[in-house]
Amino acid sequence: MSNAINLYGSTNGHSTMTGPVAEPRSYTGNPQKNSPALGATIAYMGVDGLLALLHGSQGCSTFIRLQLSRHFKEPIPLNSTALLEDTAIFGGWEHLKKGIAKAADKFQPRIIGVMSSGLTETFGDDMVSALASLRQERPDLIEKPVVLAKTPDYIGSLQEGYQRTVLALLDTLTVDPSPRESNTVALFPGAHFTPADVEELKDTVSLFGLTPLVLPDISTSLDGHFELEPAPVVQGGITLEDIRRIPGCIASFSFGPSMAVVGESLQKRHSVPHIAVPSLTGLEAVDTFYLKLCQLSGRPIPERLLRQRSRLLDTLADYHDQLGQKRIAIALESDLLISLANCLVEVGAVIQVALAATALHENVLPNFTFSSQYTVEVGDLEHLEERAPGSHLIIANSNARQAALPLKIPHLRAGLPVFDRAGMSQKVWIGYRGTQQFLYDCLNAMAG
Amino acid sequence: MFVNLTKLDLKETCPLTDKGAPKLCMKALPGEGAERSCAFDGARVVLMPVTDAAHVVHGPIACAGNSWDNRGAKSSGPQLYRRGLTTDLMEMDVVYGGEKKLIQAIIDVARKHQPKAVFVYATCVSALIGDDLETACKEAQKDVSVPVIPVNAPGFMGDKNIGNRVAGEVLFRQIIGTAEPETVHPFAINFIGEYNIAGDLWGIQPSLEAIGIKLQACISGDARFDDIRTAHRAKLNVLVCSKSLTNLVKQMEQKYGIPYIEGSFYGIHDTSATLRAIAKAFGDAGLIERTEAHILQKEAETRAVIEPLKAQLSGKRAVLFTGGVKTWSMVTTLRELGIDVLAGGTQNSTPDDFLRMKALMDPTAHIIEDTSAAGFLTLIKEKSPDLIVAGGKTKYLAHKTRTPFLDINHGRSLPYAGYAGMITFANAVARTVFSPVWEKMRVAFPPEVTVNE
Repeated sequence: MSNAINLYGSTNGHSTMTGPVAEPRSYTGNPQKNSPALGATIAYMGVDGLLALLHGSQGCSTFIRLQLSRHFKEPIPLNSTALLEDTAIFGGWEHLKKGIAKAADKFQPRIIGVMSSGLTETFGDDMVSALASLRQERPDLIEKPVVLAKTPDYIGSLQEGYQRTVLALLDTLTVDPSPRESNTVALFPGAHFTPADVEELKDTVSLFGLTPLVLPDISTSLDGHFELEPAPVVQGGITLEDIRRIPGCIASFSFGPSMAVVGESLQKRHSVPHIAVPSLTGLEAVDTFYLKLCQLSGRPIPERLLRQRSRLLDTLADYHDQLGQKRIAIALESDLLISLANCLVEVGAVIQVALAATALHENVLPNFTFSSQYTVEVGDLEHLEERAPGSHLIIANSNARQAALPLKIPHLRAGLPVFDRAGMSQKVWIGYRGTQQFLYDCLNAMAG
Repeated sequence: MFVNLTKLDLKETCPLTDKGAPKLCMKALPGEGAERSCAFDGARVVLMPVTDAAHVVHGPIACAGNSWDNRGAKSSGPQLYRRGLTTDLMEMDVVYGGEKKLIQAIIDVARKHQPKAVFVYATCVSALIGDDLETACKEAQKDVSVPVIPVNAPGFMGDKNIGNRVAGEVLFRQIIGTAEPETVHPFAINFIGEYNIAGDLWGIQPSLEAIGIKLQACISGDARFDDIRTAHRAKLNVLVCSKSLTNLVKQMEQKYGIPYIEGSFYGIHDTSATLRAIAKAFGDAGLIERTEAHILQKEAETRAVIEPLKAQLSGKRAVLFTGGVKTWSMVTTLRELGIDVLAGGTQNSTPDDFLRMKALMDPTAHIIEDTSAAGFLTLIKEKSPDLIVAGGKTKYLAHKTRTPFLDINHGRSLPYAGYAGMITFANAVARTVFSPVWEKMRVAFPPEVTVNE
């Protein structure tokens, strides 16, 4: 069965919680996966002055730019090493060197963020030696920060590419220990956080008297804003100086199961205690996080947040009947999928089907209180189409319109790409207020 | 394994030494930021609008996952072409080869979706690991009753344009001429390179019907597979997206004796000129008379509607950045609204498209040489145009310059072809140029405080 890897197995050797999805088939139909290199691009977009460089064919970067542009409604500074037929024979090593040099000379970025592709990983280009060789030839580039993220397609979807890239950013750019800063914390938001989610997170953490350093910080780059002078590199995002301060933080928080490895890496290398936050949507999930912030800051939960909590409880009372026993079909990248599914079960809804884009690590689900009440399977949007009939609501990206429209099931847009609804970048689904908004969005979608 | 590029008559028009000429035979430079997409994308653009076919991408997720259902080619019926179907190659496939998976995928897709044909696209990775697309398709064909068609244009073969040409070869060698139409209309034509973006084709068809022309096959907007098979019985080919499918019309001329003309349906002038050329090619007095009468009526109607808009837009200056037929046709179309093109550039056009654009533009107009984001920003700053006309990739960068912008490529939602399309186009131009939002962005806030003495 040649599709075993795709549907039932894990891509990295871990067992999964999947059950059989439907009749086995050897193709992926209406994929919900995006390429890992696309996830890498999102991560790079949260770093100020960066220019991303995809090591691959020209189409690889064109597709990513189009996909992210139509989602974020923003220009995406992503160049390519533009591999051609000769590289299939000779490899792309020289192209990578030329690409980095050209990007540095022409665009003068503060940082160059390279990601590999299925093509270059298949012929096994060694990016590290290419960079070393370039720096030998061009000593002026020795000081230019260059991040190398290995993101071949087979590692998963955008979530996995994003994770590897945040890890590469952290490991490459925080080589030296930095002085401890008493109130500074590092935050590693997952790939599913919108620019407004990240902003909400920063604001909330600040309410506890803590100073957040966010890697990556798309809240000031992909938020859709005007600069005095537009530039062909990332404008906004965390600065290189702030990234270098991260080893001096008193603690780090990772958001979403896939991001835990980033916090763990920081803990291992710089002894910064790491706290994994699996989800920030749903009452219990948010309670848990705020209590941790209390412990860390020595402050009580701010009055403003308690007020928001009280409003969320009132909403639960007002709408419990409309949410209770509603059957939800949901297909998303796994971090967001479990977060939203858990929140829905918490308020009495039923998960009819939960399809993750990629396989889950076996230790993920036990972190979620209600995960025993639904099964997470791995599947595409054609599986969603087969399994959604009878549900009251579909939660998936815009591409699921091909399933939702003929089935006449309300479709709440989430994940990526969302290109046919306005304001996705400004949507907040985290915290008490965000949880309330998420439930409102579900209710409004079902109301038609 | 691949189509021999020298047979695709790339050499006769290449290379151009003009500044800003599309570098068809030149390699794109790594890191320069002027990517022109890839051959796989080019092949997909031409073939994917075939609405009742299944399109299977044999590659890793980057090729189909990021890009399926992202073009605005509309269908009046089947929606199968919009599905993203892929073998989603994984590490083990790379190690052991993906042919078996592909064969089974083709069979499964055919069983599940009942297509009229299955197009199977190679990609960089499938080509690199040595999967033999032709053999796999032949093998799958044993179990599939509809044609299984290999499309061998992996991305590293070159840019979009080369992929277009490979698709042309596929159409010619494997599809056109494989079925006979029930009847042949005396004035049957094919459109070549019209993809029905946002419904463009439907803006042209009323004119064809009015003058008595029958569209035998449209390659490939709103196409049905069986119509394309009968395209060899048309009496005339009309090459709409200019040169990227020249190889196809030339071969059809040689083999089936079908003459071809080039044309465009953007703008009043080009629409009329193309209709006239079609009528003239048939040489039928009645047809010519009907065509002239139709042109006279539609031009007057269209002009009457756009006149007030033209009066307002006259003297505005635009920067044009597009590909294909729009490269030159848009220069004329904008001028019909009184708009001058200050600067023009192109990425995915042929040298011929480019030369045609240059000839139409004012000699003092600027040719965009650096097509990267950096070059684009410098140009906009230098020229301060009243309007930018370009594609979706440029859209959000253009907005950052606080300049009115019109998307004319495949991501747009409005049809601009034919007489009706010209009215839509004129309104769209006016909506962005005169939108009240732009001036808000040029006002400093908060205002500088002036201290009264």
